[in-house]
Amino acid sequence: MRPTWAHFAKKPSFLPTKSKWFQFRSNPRVRGLGQFGWYAFVFASWLPVVVMANDNFFEITRINGSSMYPLFNPDKDRSLTLDRVWTWKYNAQNKLARGMVVIFWSPFNPEGSVVKRVVGLPGDVIRTKPPYPVATVQVPPGHVWVEGDGDATQDSNTYGPIATGLIVGKVTHIVWPPHRFGRVKWEEYAKKLKYSS
Amino acid sequence: MGHWASYFAGHPFRVFVHCGQTLALAHYIFNYQYSVGWGYGPSMLPTFLVDGDILIFDKHHRRGRDVQVGDCVSYHIPVSPDEDGVKRVIGMPGDYVLMNSPGATSDRMLQVPKGHCYLVGDNLPWSRDSRDFGPLPLALIKGKAIAKGQMVGWNPWKWFEPLPNGLTSDDSS
Repeated sequence: MRPTWAHFAKKPSFLPTKSKWFQFRSNPRVRGLGQFGWYAFVFASWLPVVVMANDNFFEITRINGSSMYPLFNPDKDRSLTLDRVWTWKYNAQNKLARGMVVIFWSPFNPEGSVVKRVVGLPGDVIRTKPPYPVATVQVPPGHVWVEGDGDATQDSNTYGPIATGLIVGKVTHIVWPPHRFGRVKWEEYAKKLKYSS
Repeated sequence: MGHWASYFAGHPFRVFVHCGQTLALAHYIFNYQYSVGWGYGPSMLPTFLVDGDILIFDKHHRRGRDVQVGDCVSYHIPVSPDEDGVKRVIGMPGDYVLMNSPGATSDRMLQVPKGHCYLVGDNLPWSRDSRDFGPLPLALIKGKAIAKGQMVGWNPWKWFEPLPNGLTSDDSS
């Protein structure tokens, strides 16, 4: 049986059938409106589910810009299409590893999010790149050092280590364009990192 | 038939789906509209008690939206993940703030960088705040405290009192 509002109310046996209200509700046009209201309610009841899934579990995100070239948007000079990536959001701020590609709120622009690669974990000593004022820096607790793969990137060398609380998700797959569909092999990058003791 | 219970009785899948929808609605309300929290610790002492105060947060101010100097905000503590704190904003991007407590060894000042704010607890000697971990990215702000109170008495309308902006003009000098 198809659910309607009628399921949530007892039959209005207590209402006099001749009342103005009953006649109004009995009008076929008004009943059609009630049917539309029911479908609108069913549609709206799924919106919070989408919001919760996008906040806590997964989201498909569009990648703008070339800061992760050539991992994302490698055809940036030949094509206007932008890469879409699958972002896993459950427990994203924990179990971070060097080489992971993460999406986080920009420290300079609280309404914008950026994608970068985790290079240093708390306690690591990082050899910084030019814009940063000092040559080496130790990542403080609760922070990570992030850098973009490309040349045109504004990363931790500009704004310093970022708090893990800013991280909203880990990029796990490229989903668009289809010919590059596949898992982001972040652990291969981690092997290439240069360590010195 | 026609009663709402008959829609659920004997339909475990319907019960499951509607429980999930209700959970998602709660997630939406507590993360995007309003939420309730329990503050503890001595760092905001004249304003909030050490323990027992219930705070109501307006989540429309998440990520520093429309936050002003003097507001109490809840934020993700950058140096200790999985923990939230409540402090007062004393500087927004571009403002000059004292890096240390007034009367401390150094009177150095700092301009709050863009996208950041400067947080300090009301109980200066007993607070861990921006004086320790530096300017806080606005994106770490979760909401603004708009009311505080305790569940004392029988009238729920008397439990909470609004929390006005704490910025006052200094006429002493």
